[in-house]
Amino acid sequence: MAHTKQTLLERRYSLLGLLLIAPTVLVFCAVIVYPLISAIYLSLFSIYTPTLDGEWVGLQNYATLLAKGEFWYSLRTNLIWTVGTLSLQIVFGIGMALVLHQNIWFRSLARSLILFPYFISTVVAVLVWKWLFNDLYGILNHLMMGAGLIEFPIDYLGSMPNAMVSVILVGAWKYFPFVVIAVLARLQTIPGQLYEAARIDGAGPIARFFDVTLPQLREVLVVIVMLRAIWDFKEFDLIFLLTGGGPVTSTQTLPLLVYKEAFSLNQMGMATAYAVIMMLIMLVFMVLYIRRTRTEDGL
Amino acid sequence: MTIRKIAFNLFAWTIVLMVAFPLFWMLVTSVKPQSELFRRPPTIMPESWTFEHYWRLLSDTGFLRYFTNSVILSSATTLIVVAIATLGAYSLVRYRYRGRETLAFLVLFTYLLPSVVLILPLYLLLVGLGLSNTILSLVIAYTTFALPYALWLLRSFMAGIPEDLESAALVDGASRLGAFWDIILPQLLPGIISTALFTFILSWNEYLYALVLVNSDSARPLTTGVMNMLITSFNIEWSLLMAASVMMSVPLIIAFAFLQSYLTSGFGAGGVKG
Amino acid sequence: MTYSAKLRTGLTRRGALGALAATSALAAVPFRASAQETTLRWWSPQAAPQQVEAYEFQIAAFEAANPGVRVVFETTSDEGYAPQLAAAFSSGEVPDIVTHLPSFAIQSYYANGLVEPFNDVIEAIGADDFYPGANDVFKAADGNYVGTGIGNSAANMMWLRTDLMAEAGVDKAPETWDELRAACQAMQKNGIYGAPLPYGRNSMTSLIFIGVIHQAGGQVFDTDLNVALDTQATRDALEFYTSMRELCPPGATNYSWGEAITAFVSGATATGIYTGRVLGNVAAQNPGIADSITCATYPRLSTDIAPWTFNDFPSVFIPAQSQNKDAAKAFAAHLFQPEGYIKQLHAAPGHVLPVLQSINNNPQYQENEIIQKYPDEVELMAASAAGGFNLGYESTAHPSNEKAGEVVGSGAIADMVQRVVLNGENADTVIGETSAAIEAIMKG
Repeated sequence: MAHTKQTLLERRYSLLGLLLIAPTVLVFCAVIVYPLISAIYLSLFSIYTPTLDGEWVGLQNYATLLAKGEFWYSLRTNLIWTVGTLSLQIVFGIGMALVLHQNIWFRSLARSLILFPYFISTVVAVLVWKWLFNDLYGILNHLMMGAGLIEFPIDYLGSMPNAMVSVILVGAWKYFPFVVIAVLARLQTIPGQLYEAARIDGAGPIARFFDVTLPQLREVLVVIVMLRAIWDFKEFDLIFLLTGGGPVTSTQTLPLLVYKEAFSLNQMGMATAYAVIMMLIMLVFMVLYIRRTRTEDGL
Repeated sequence: MTIRKIAFNLFAWTIVLMVAFPLFWMLVTSVKPQSELFRRPPTIMPESWTFEHYWRLLSDTGFLRYFTNSVILSSATTLIVVAIATLGAYSLVRYRYRGRETLAFLVLFTYLLPSVVLILPLYLLLVGLGLSNTILSLVIAYTTFALPYALWLLRSFMAGIPEDLESAALVDGASRLGAFWDIILPQLLPGIISTALFTFILSWNEYLYALVLVNSDSARPLTTGVMNMLITSFNIEWSLLMAASVMMSVPLIIAFAFLQSYLTSGFGAGGVKG
Repeated sequence: MTYSAKLRTGLTRRGALGALAATSALAAVPFRASAQETTLRWWSPQAAPQQVEAYEFQIAAFEAANPGVRVVFETTSDEGYAPQLAAAFSSGEVPDIVTHLPSFAIQSYYANGLVEPFNDVIEAIGADDFYPGANDVFKAADGNYVGTGIGNSAANMMWLRTDLMAEAGVDKAPETWDELRAACQAMQKNGIYGAPLPYGRNSMTSLIFIGVIHQAGGQVFDTDLNVALDTQATRDALEFYTSMRELCPPGATNYSWGEAITAFVSGATATGIYTGRVLGNVAAQNPGIADSITCATYPRLSTDIAPWTFNDFPSVFIPAQSQNKDAAKAFAAHLFQPEGYIKQLHAAPGHVLPVLQSINNNPQYQENEIIQKYPDEVELMAASAAGGFNLGYESTAHPSNEKAGEVVGSGAIADMVQRVVLNGENADTVIGETSAAIEAIMKG
């Protein structure tokens, strides 16, 4: 729709367009922009959380936190968690989508069962896994001991590296269905002729996956990776409820650190400073990521 | 060939059952009497079945109230968010005005906000509006994370609807909004349903906002209600917890069973576009 | 732009304090509320169903005596109260009365002007009726009382299974760490572990370990509130705690109160560490062992050191921003009315112990199956709790510590335990870093 000069109609349309987006913008300003600005503003103060009274300290909170080992350590933990759980989600999600795309027995039941972890609440997921992990009555230890895999009960959540592995696995279990949903939907729209053509060219199943399926999935994967990366990076409930950041600070990611500063130490200014830095980190990653994927797409 | 097929099926189902094992274990635990839980080694199938935990939840605790709250809360959030986001997405995709691209990018940016930071300013705002401790306050809070998500999803669905359809209607003399109502909405329905489902799930499962923003049983949703009621420092009753977990998950599973096809087909229709 | 919430005033206050003065007949003297309906919000993290039932009874009695006043009970939780109260205080939408929070939490709020002095309520209840010194822990730096105890709790009692002791040839309750270790070793068999000590990253680990430091003769702060962790006592405590690790279930690395009590009650451990709630839970969940449980104060390094009981001093306080302070005060005093108060105590017998002498001696209070079944245990817990301490009040010589809540909340002490016990880090380094971390909180 190339156009040189805006017609009256088009101008009226753009007005209508603005009108339609107005509620969104309004809500955004009220519930997101305002709190965001408050957060940035608060990060310049030293603030006692329950009163939200405090004195201006300028950028000192930022200086303190960047100099603190705890920040860098939590950032590292956060990255390990994000990369670990995200890659499992993607790999397992694509694999499962491919399986569920085939004509297996009771396919829709299988699909429902696979998607179920995504639908239950984090609270439920944590409860169930804590019960599975239970040191005395947990079925997991019992089964593994029965199978001769281990001799003594494993401490899944209280020691390292078990705790990190457990958290990553539970995270992957909880969120991989999201990848399955999106990939499965995309798989259904890949034209069959593409596979026919590949088969005629003599491509085996593996070659077909890499030559046909993966390029077709690329677009959807780019979006999924970004969305999931953002969510995983700022995941709070799951880790907080599962390990509370322990043992010591081994699974204390940045959102947990923010929570601790804000509500255990009552340092709201510091907490918001952490959060602002967190946002900046994600922003940088996101911009780089979008750039990269855009240029590769030739957009 | 058939042997390969059977082997593949067995392989597929082994994985499916492993993924679903926690669901199975949740069900089994919820019908075991408390005394059997502390058996070592644990019994795989319950030796005696009991539904007393479900009964206790329904009769002795505030479970039903929390449940009702959650239903109202999630439905209201879904309704509001999807309505706003549909209009917004329509505008973003089909209209041209300055700042459109920036706006779309800003939407994504709001994704980046960790909820932990938004809580206190948001809480002050809600108190200022006189809404503290109400379900409505949670609806507003949930909008912060549900709206960007819904807008983003719907935008990609909308982009998948061929523009020709709308143009044809316009040529036939339909008004722009008329065309939206008659042409776009029906086309968008699968997308709307799957967005609604996702929004519903997000709000049904949220924990942190509910923990901080609401402290009255009359507005408390299931997530914090159950944690508060059953995870206490003086007792952990696993079978009761598992019964509660089952009942918390059932509505979503039912809704999902009905809407499953929309979920995947909706996603496919537009492809998820960046 | 200031975020401090404005206190809303303007509600008429009429002779409520006059009514408060009439101590014992308080329920009978109607509190004259303003013409419009007044609603009091009451928060507590202690909300087991039986407890809520008792609260409802107290509420009903109060509402009947004070038409126009409605009391709404709302549950909070041990882990959730900090953010919830933070949100409440910063917005001004506060509960009118809060019960069962540990005493040190209130001290921190009071120091920031968020809590109403409680002196007149204590007078109304009858200052003489409290156990001597019971209110010392609630005394603020300015001499006012920030609240009072709604009960006592002896949180680190050592629970014992007499049947397992007899089986293993342990003839008396361990008094020293060596005896405890020997007893646990003797009883740890057939899938039963010795003890459920908490090694988790949570407040229980901090609170229990503070006790262990004292049981080694040490302290966290000296009497001028300087950090005094760098002592042999702390090293001994860490060494003891490390040696107990193999006598605890593998999952103890994540234990908090709920897991600790469940482990003992379900019979998974031979000893326990918890309040008297064990008694009620055993009766309800594992009656088979009801006749073979007893308790003692937790062992210490040597018998030269006095036992140190951790009492979190479950409290009552009234936020300063409450718009119905007078009604709230009347209600706070009402909570101590014998009939309702005894019901409340009976809801968790042995767990929340009376702070009023008249209640402890009240035959109605003694008339409870569990209290009668375990008279010695309940008596021991009452005595230990009355002489108990916590981080906000480490000894009678310590002034109240306004930052104790933050120190516990920061998890610095639990981190110290985890680093030394689980990660095997050098104790000296860790103690040094922990001291620095706590000092930073004290300054902050």
